[in-house]
Amino acid sequence: MSVRDSQLDKHLEALFGGLDTAAEFDTRLMARLQAESQTDAAERAIRARHQERLRYRKARLELKSWRRSMLRLLTLDALGIAVLLAVAIGMAWPHLNGDVLDISRQYGPYIATLFGVLVAAVPLVATWVERTRGPVPLR
Amino acid sequence: MELVRAQRHDEAIALLLPAFRRKVFGLAYSFLRNREAAEDVTQDVFIKVWRALPGFDGRASLSTWIYTIARNASLSALRARRPQSSLSDPEVMDAVDAIDTAASADALVERAALLRLVDQLPTKQRQVIMLFYMKEQSHEEVATMLAMPVGTVKTLLHRARARLSAAAGN
Repeated sequence: MSVRDSQLDKHLEALFGGLDTAAEFDTRLMARLQAESQTDAAERAIRARHQERLRYRKARLELKSWRRSMLRLLTLDALGIAVLLAVAIGMAWPHLNGDVLDISRQYGPYIATLFGVLVAAVPLVATWVERTRGPVPLR
Repeated sequence: MELVRAQRHDEAIALLLPAFRRKVFGLAYSFLRNREAAEDVTQDVFIKVWRALPGFDGRASLSTWIYTIARNASLSALRARRPQSSLSDPEVMDAVDAIDTAASADALVERAALLRLVDQLPTKQRQVIMLFYMKEQSHEEVATMLAMPVGTVKTLLHRARARLSAAAGN
């Protein structure tokens, strides 16, 4: 290495050797990190709340659709029971003795009306229960 | 790495900071040639490192990983702040003065002239010169910082010194 080269080295070392950040750099960085850390925690909490809300809404929708399908089934059930009973009574009618026939003639319209009201009330009661239920409990 | 594995990221950063602060700053400065911008980038780099520490799997070495973040951040900052300043801008000259306030007026004039010569070097040569002459920097370290083979660093350094030597001799 020539004298000029070693002089060059010295000058370059003097120029760039002491290159460093300002004195308060670490303090500023640590303050920023602390602020970021707090922001991160707040953001995490907001994200968790949002996810919980989504989960709750999804669970409610699932339960609602389940209730609707149950209601449909219940209505069909009531209709089926009514048809079944009508068929059973129709088939049993010729074999019933006189007393029963007398009673049925006397109270027949009432029994039929009561039965009709009961069958019609099943979906209505189910709808009322559906509407008056409180919030869906989540595990 | 133990602190990273133990999820003690604040302590890990407190350890990384003294080890890498000057190097990251030097790397950012070699790209940006502006002290304030380089400090901002250095801050951003450490914030990014702190955020990304939970995902650091240790496949690359920590220094390589940090320098990659620093290079990318510097390049983004460089793109965002065109037109860029030069090493011989007044603010850079003030920074040079601040490095060694005890230097004589003649020495400062010489350094200012040398700084202008360094500024005129091709980008890669200028970066290698700046990083190599930072304290305790080896060819290998400069190669890792700039993601270059060690041989390339040596060649660039040799050419840069030859240019500077010739220019200074004129």
